Amino acid sequence: MTDYGHDLLFGTFLTPSAQDARQAIDLAVASDRAGLDLVTFQDHPYQPAFLDTWTLLTYVAARTERVHLSGNVLSLPLRPPAVLARAAASLDLLSGGRVDLGLGAGAFWDGIAAMGGRRLTPAQGVDALREAITIIRDLWDTGTRGGVRRDGTYYQVVGAKRGPAPAHDIPIWVGAYKRRMLALTGEMADGWLPTLEYLPDGVGSFPALNARIDEAAVSAGRSPRDVRRLLNIMNVRFSATGRGVLDGPVDQWVEQLTGLALEHGVTAYLIGGDDLPTVERFAAEVVPAVREAVARERG
Amino acid sequence: MELALGVVLDASADAARTTELARQADAGGLDLVVLRGGPDTGLDPWTAAVWVAGVTDRIAIGTTGFGPPPEHEMPYPSVVEKARESAALLTGRRLVDGEPWATAPAGADRAALEALAADGRTVVVPVTDAEDVARLVALVGPVAGRRRTAAARALRRAGIDYDGVPASLAATAVEPGDPEYLAVSSTYLRGGAPGLVLRPETPEQVADALAFARAHTHVPLGVRSGGHGVSGRSTNDGGVVIDVGRMNRIEVLDASRRLVRIGPGATWKQVAAALDPYGWALGSGDYGGVGVGGLATAGGIGLLGRAHGLTIDRLRAVELVLADGTPVRATADEHPDLFWAVRGAGANFGVATAFEVEAYDVGEVGWAKLGLVSTDLEKSLLRFGEVATAAPRDTTVFLVTGRPQRGQSMIQLYAIVDSPDPQVVVERLQPFLDLGVLVQQEAFMARYKDIMGQAPDVGPEGHHGQGEPVSRSAFLPGITPQAAHDTAELLRSGRVFFFQLRTMGGAIADVPADETAFAHRTPAFQATAMGVDQADLDARWDRLAEHFDGLYLSFDTDLRPERLHDAFPPEVLARLRELKRRYDPDALFRDNFPIDPRTTT
Ligand SMILES: Cc1cc2nc3c(=O)[nH]c(=O)nc-3n(C[C@H](O)[C@H](O)[C@H](O)COP(=O)(O)OP(=O)(O)OC[C@H]3O[C@@H](n4cnc5c(N)ncnc54)[C@H](O)[C@@H]3O)c2cc1C
Repeated sequence: MTDYGHDLLFGTFLTPSAQDARQAIDLAVASDRAGLDLVTFQDHPYQPAFLDTWTLLTYVAARTERVHLSGNVLSLPLRPPAVLARAAASLDLLSGGRVDLGLGAGAFWDGIAAMGGRRLTPAQGVDALREAITIIRDLWDTGTRGGVRRDGTYYQVVGAKRGPAPAHDIPIWVGAYKRRMLALTGEMADGWLPTLEYLPDGVGSFPALNARIDEAAVSAGRSPRDVRRLLNIMNVRFSATGRGVLDGPVDQWVEQLTGLALEHGVTAYLIGGDDLPTVERFAAEVVPAVREAVARERG
Repeated sequence: MELALGVVLDASADAARTTELARQADAGGLDLVVLRGGPDTGLDPWTAAVWVAGVTDRIAIGTTGFGPPPEHEMPYPSVVEKARESAALLTGRRLVDGEPWATAPAGADRAALEALAADGRTVVVPVTDAEDVARLVALVGPVAGRRRTAAARALRRAGIDYDGVPASLAATAVEPGDPEYLAVSSTYLRGGAPGLVLRPETPEQVADALAFARAHTHVPLGVRSGGHGVSGRSTNDGGVVIDVGRMNRIEVLDASRRLVRIGPGATWKQVAAALDPYGWALGSGDYGGVGVGGLATAGGIGLLGRAHGLTIDRLRAVELVLADGTPVRATADEHPDLFWAVRGAGANFGVATAFEVEAYDVGEVGWAKLGLVSTDLEKSLLRFGEVATAAPRDTTVFLVTGRPQRGQSMIQLYAIVDSPDPQVVVERLQPFLDLGVLVQQEAFMARYKDIMGQAPDVGPEGHHGQGEPVSRSAFLPGITPQAAHDTAELLRSGRVFFFQLRTMGGAIADVPADETAFAHRTPAFQATAMGVDQADLDARWDRLAEHFDGLYLSFDTDLRPERLHDAFPPEVLARLRELKRRYDPDALFRDNFPIDPRTTT
């Protein structure tokens, strides 16, 4: 039983489909209107059928009012850290503090290379991400005097001007599955953002992977609570009979999400499927019940 | 001279103010917002420009003075290119490249602005507050209809005389560059990209819209009420749509006779809700989102059908505007021939602007949604055929099924039993329970308005349909063993993802066949099959033809000319064609089973 005690966040994990751009926007707007906390979009710049995620995210931020937005997760190899830092801070200012930053070290290297990006090994990817996070936070830190100077293996900045400072403390959430990336998450990220379908043993993976993050956090002098645990669940639906995680009646969804919070400390749930009725039902029936159940158990 | 003006906003100033001033300029009819960077500009120009596009609806957006980013902040060119394409799609090409404008000094007067605008460029003026923007808005002045920026006008379609839109419709008309365009381009089941959507609110405005349509017979014309057309192409590509969705009043004319006047743009959900306080109902279809206009001109085979007849059987008067713009009122006594034609083939004769109906008393009814798993679809269909037709007329049950999976079919039944007595309801539903293994059941006493009310409201974003529906329809005199077998076979092919049987009979069959242009009074069922490929579905459905007796036009998307003969028996079609020659000789109305007035076959 691990509950890190974070407040709960509910959101959507949407496809930035170019053909169904309208649907993507409608789903985001509906998520906002339904009172969800987060709208997130996948980011695969090399996928021709997808929109540019940053552009879509910005446009959607302008057409929503309360919901937070994030890439899920943004592809670092095609988005240099300084570009990311300034764009994210800008949108955070424009939107009144509604931007969160989901970051990934990169997947699908052929696609990345085809777009002109640099091919890295998994180990290099982790180091590059470490350098990137440092630079991003430096650029946001306008409280420190002088330019930013970092001479990394993957990213070099030479006396770059700081700012803009975001409107709120933008959390950095990392998509991580393997040992080194999990360690990096514990060492410096504000959150861990995996996708359930990619976890080796599904929900059963949490104890071991959480422990790895916790350990890394502690050895870096942080608390495990400094790392929020988020989760994408791609294949979800409401059905009459329970078949799996978020595939069953409302009660079962509530029970499963409550369990994820109280047993595994997962406190942010982002559902896939791009289906409007499912999103509305999630917001109307599942969210309040999970909030209530978790509050009750936490006492 | 028409002056195209814009504003220059300092992008380093506070973000909330940038948003506010951009919105003001947009709403005021200015053409352009230029975001200006400077040495201390914090904001990322791309993010700021897309943001401003998102908070505005029509204005174009440019950037200036940001300078190139330092080397280590260079985005990948391929990603930049992709971002541009995405923005073009999302914003309707409102982000402008380069600096195709002339900049005037802050506070420049009209003469100075006109001088700068002489070469046709948009003139932009630096502003710092709402007052500055208001001054420019006043200089541009109000324009007839609405003002469209050059970027919006660039999206207009060929062959449409946009400047000739009738004055009465100009303020509400929507064209591709308008903010509401996406909300009016699709219908429930169909994607579309019309060149112009006219939205009349009175019969006079409908006549104006028809005059415009008569001058545009070289592009498609769609007539739209609730946007749930299947056969009815109420959206199109590059054509004109006359959308009477705003004519949605519901008004009780005479409570003693339960006489109600309904606008075509109302949905059946709204109608049911309005009648409920009186203890009345009017049977419609099975889905409350459907519009009055399309259904009440075609038939209306619903869950109160066996108890109370078709929707059109309760019409007492229809008001419509004919192709030449003449308003007419058709009743049993006035224009009786038109009154006959409109009840079944209305889409061929005019734009209906009001329906007067006689509702009936309906109290609590039994409502059920049952899910049954069948391992022998053929047997289940056959059995359904027996029990659904043998049921007393207070009971109407529809059957829906899809592709069988692993030899099993999920059968959904939707039923209304028009009885306030739960005992009777249970008794009536009992025979249906052995169609398969009952895995889902929802049954309770309900008001008709609650059953229709299950359909969600359509929000300001409008309908979301994409592509083209692929659907075929037929009437079945009954379900014979061979028909059940062939239907089961069709479903096992996996090429039909939705199949529905709507049970008829009862009060529907009480009405003589020549009473309305909907002439198929005796079939026991109306069948609908939906697939993904029209040619494929046609080939499969045609093979079942021996079991059919005509078709209900509303659910058939096949465009082959034979279908018209299935929809209307020969003597009915002959009479309709005669009337078409009289009322719509140039075949202006042609989006839904069009009858050609010129031919005789
Ligand atoms: C989910 C769903 C369920 C349905 N269930 C049933 C059912 O149970 N029983 C049943 O009988 N039908 C049913 N229908 C079919 C429905 O009645 C027709 O598709 C009908 O045309 C929809 O009307 P509308 O006004 O919403 O459609 P629209 O798309 O607005 O119009 C469809 C067509 O109707 C004509 N039309 C529309 N408005 C007018 C007008 N004011 N004057 C003259 N012609 C006009 C035009 O030809 C137009 O193309 C259903 C359809 C759907 C999508």
